[in-house]
Amino acid sequence: MATNAVESPDASSSPQESDEKAQLNAQLRQQQRAERRSRWFWRISGYVFFFGLWQFASSFLVADFIVPPPLAILEKMRDIIVSGEVWVHFGATLSTIAIGFTVAYVLGAALGMLIGRSRWWESFFGDWVMATLTTPGLVFALLTAMVFGLGQLGPIVAVIITSISYVTVNVVEGVKAMPEDLVSMARAYRRSRWQIVRHVFIPFLAPFFFTAVRYGFSIAWKIATLTEVIVGTAGIGFMMRREFQSFSMTGFLAWVLLFFAFALFLERVVLQRQMKRVLKWRPEVAK
Amino acid sequence: MSATTLRRPALPSSGAKLVNVLKANRSARIMSWISLLVAWQLATLVIPSELIPPPAQVLEFMWNEVRAVTVAPETLYMSFGLSFERLGVGLAIAFAIGTPIGLAMGMYKPVEHFLHDFVVVGLAMPSLVWALVAGMWFGFGNLAPVITVTLAAVTFVVINIAEGVRNVPKELLDMSAAYGVSRWRTIRHVIFPSLMPFFFAALRYGFANAWKGLVLAEVWASTSGAGWVIKFWYDAHRSQGIVGYALFFILVAILIERLVFGRLSNYVFRWRATTSREIPEPASEAPAKEGA
Amino acid sequence: MATIRLEKLRKEFITDDSKVVALNDVSFEVSGQEFVSVIGPSGCGKSTLLNILSGIETATSGKLEITEGERQARLGYVFQAARLLPWRTVMDNLLFVQDVRDKETRERCQRYLEMVELGHTGKQYPSQLSGGMQQRAGIARAFSTEPDLLLMDEPFSHLDAITGRSLRRELHELWTRTKKTVLFVTHDVTEAVELSTRILMFAKGGHLVEEVTMDLPFPRDATSDEVALARADIMRRFEALDLVAT
Repeated sequence: MATNAVESPDASSSPQESDEKAQLNAQLRQQQRAERRSRWFWRISGYVFFFGLWQFASSFLVADFIVPPPLAILEKMRDIIVSGEVWVHFGATLSTIAIGFTVAYVLGAALGMLIGRSRWWESFFGDWVMATLTTPGLVFALLTAMVFGLGQLGPIVAVIITSISYVTVNVVEGVKAMPEDLVSMARAYRRSRWQIVRHVFIPFLAPFFFTAVRYGFSIAWKIATLTEVIVGTAGIGFMMRREFQSFSMTGFLAWVLLFFAFALFLERVVLQRQMKRVLKWRPEVAK
Repeated sequence: MSATTLRRPALPSSGAKLVNVLKANRSARIMSWISLLVAWQLATLVIPSELIPPPAQVLEFMWNEVRAVTVAPETLYMSFGLSFERLGVGLAIAFAIGTPIGLAMGMYKPVEHFLHDFVVVGLAMPSLVWALVAGMWFGFGNLAPVITVTLAAVTFVVINIAEGVRNVPKELLDMSAAYGVSRWRTIRHVIFPSLMPFFFAALRYGFANAWKGLVLAEVWASTSGAGWVIKFWYDAHRSQGIVGYALFFILVAILIERLVFGRLSNYVFRWRATTSREIPEPASEAPAKEGA
Repeated sequence: MATIRLEKLRKEFITDDSKVVALNDVSFEVSGQEFVSVIGPSGCGKSTLLNILSGIETATSGKLEITEGERQARLGYVFQAARLLPWRTVMDNLLFVQDVRDKETRERCQRYLEMVELGHTGKQYPSQLSGGMQQRAGIARAFSTEPDLLLMDEPFSHLDAITGRSLRRELHELWTRTKKTVLFVTHDVTEAVELSTRILMFAKGGHLVEEVTMDLPFPRDATSDEVALARADIMRRFEALDLVAT
C-alpha cells in the first residue's frame, strides 16, 4: 500500500542533504522491489497450487463429471463464445440488470437522502430496508415470479426490490456524515446554495454514491441470475439451470465463470478506475 | 455551547398532542406497516386475486401455520428448525476452518499473498453457485445444504479474522511487553478482545450470506427445510402460501437482526461509548483496494 | 477597516430542561486598525459571538452592525481547524470563496499564498500539507477575499508551540501590512497579550466583564518581561472575578 510521501521539493536543502536523500530513496526502492518480488512469488505459487490441485483431483481422484479438468471448461467457454450463444444470454441478463439497477439506483438514492435527513422516515422505512437486506433473494424471486410470471418483468422487479436497499444504506451513511464544519465555513464566506452543493455536498457524497453503485451492482447481478434460474427463458441463469438439470458440471462452470469474470471485471476494474479518478484528492489514492 | 440542542417548547393543546404522537419515531414504524397493508389491499382490488392474494387470506394462512395446521409436508416449526440446524452446523464448520486460515493470513504475508485472490473470488461468488455445485456433488439430503452454508460463510470468516489480526493495536502489545505481561495474558486481554468485533462481523456477514445460500440449496438439493417449503407453495400455485412464507422469512430476518445481532452487538461492544456500537463494515473491501 | 457595533446582544439556547444564556446583553464597539482579542474560559460564549458575527447563527435580541463606511463590511474567517475542502487544490480553495474568478483574482490569491510562504503549493491537495501549512492556507484564504474585518476562532490552538509561534509572527506582520480590523478569539492569554491592541474579557454566562487596552509597543516578544507582566495582570483580574462570583 502506498502512503502519501509527496512532500514538496525543499528548495533550501543543501546538496549534501539531497545526496543523503537520494541514497535513502534508493534503499527504499530496493526494499519495495524485494517486497513486490516476494508478493508475486507467493501469489503465483497460490495459482499454481490451486489449479494443480484441481487438475490432480479431476484426473486421479474423481470422475470428470464431478470435477471437470480446467482445460475442458476453458474449451467449453470458447465454444460458448464462438457459437455466439454468449451474446444472446449475456444480452438478456445484462439488459435486466441495466434497467433494474438504474431504477433501483435512482429510487434508492432519493430514499437515502430522505432517510438520512429525517429520523421519522428512517423509522418508517427502517424495517423494510433491513428486511430486504437480510431476506434471501429466493423469496423475492419467487414472489415476482408469482406476480409477473415468465418474461423479463419479474427479474427486473426482483432486481429493483433487492438492490434498492443496498444503494439506500450507502447514501444514508454519506448524508449522515455530512461535514458540518465545511458547510458552515462556506456559509460564513457567503457562498450560494448552489456553490455549496457543487463544491461541498457533491464531492463529499461522491465516494458514497460510488460505493452504492458497487454494492448495488454486486447484488443486482446475483439476483438477476437467480430469478432467471427460476423463471427465465433466456439469460445466464437460464443456462445455468439447463446445465444443472442435465448434470453437466463442465457447462455449468463454464457459464458461471464466464459471467463471474465479466461481473468482477466491471465491478473491480471499470468502477474502481472511475472511482480513483474522482477521488484523486484522497491521500491514499493520490499515490 | 455548541453542544446545546434546539428544541421547540411542547404545545399544550390536544390537537398538537396528536401531531406530536404522530411525529414520534415509534408511530412511524407502525404507520409503515399499516400503509403496506392498505396499499396491498388496494392492489388486490385492481389485480386479479390469483396473482396477489388479499391480506386477509394471507393472514389466515399465516395463523394456521403458526398453529401448525398445514397441508405442506412440514410445519412452520419443523421447516425453520431444520434450516437453522443446518445453518448452525455449517457455520460451526466454517468457523473451525476459517479461523486458523484467517489467523495465518493476518500474521504471515506469504500466506496472505498465496490465498488472497481466491478468498476475494470466494467472497464475490453468488451463493446460488455454491448451492448448485453442492447439489450436483452431493445430491439430495442434508449434506449439500450444510456444505453450501460452509462454502458461503468461510471466506467471510477468513477475511474478517485476517483483518482483525492486522488491527490488533500495536501500542497495546508494546505496552504489555514493556510491563512483562505473560504471553497467555496478552492473548487473553489484548489480542482476543480486539479480535472480538471482527469475529462478530464474520458471524454477521457470514450468517447473512449463508442463510441466502442455504434456502437455495434446500430448493435444489434437498426435500426439506424452509427454502424447500416456500418452493413447495410456489409449485402448488398457492399464492397465499408464497406470500405468507415470504412474510415469515422477513419476520425471521427482522427478529434475528433486532434481537440476536442487536443484543449481541451491545454485549460485544459494551466497553464502547453507546454511540459507536455499530459493527465494523465487512472487511471484504479493504484487501481488494490493496491489490489495485 | 470596519466598524463593529454591538448593543445589548443576547443569545439564548433552549435545551431539554433549561435555558442557557450564551451571550448576556453584550455591548462593545471595535473600529479602525484594531486587533481585538476576546478571551475567557470555555463556555463563556466566545464561539457563539463569532458565529453570530459571521452570520452562522442569529442573536435572540439586541443590535448588531458591521459596517465599512456606508456599506456592509466584508468578512474573512479563520477557523480552529483549517476547514479546507479536501477535494480541491489549495488554489481552488482560495478561489472557492471569491465572488469573481478572473486573472486578477488568481494573481491576488497567489500573492497571499506567497505571503504565508505557500507560493509553491497551489496545485497540491490539503492532505499533502502539514497541519501548520494547512492553517496558513486557511489564513491566506481569509486575507485573499480582502475583507474589511477578519474573524479568527482560536486558529493556533491545534498547532504545536513552535509552529504556533511562527504563525503568530506571520499573522502580526500581515496585519500591520494590510491594516485590517481583526477580532481574535482565544483562550490563550499570552497569545492575546502578544498580538492585541485591546482585550475583551468574557466570563461564564456570556458576560463581557472588562476591557483592557494593550499599549505595549510592537513587535512584542512573547518571552519578554513586559508581556509576562501584562499576562499576570489579566490573570489576576480573572481570579478577582472568580472571588466575586463564589
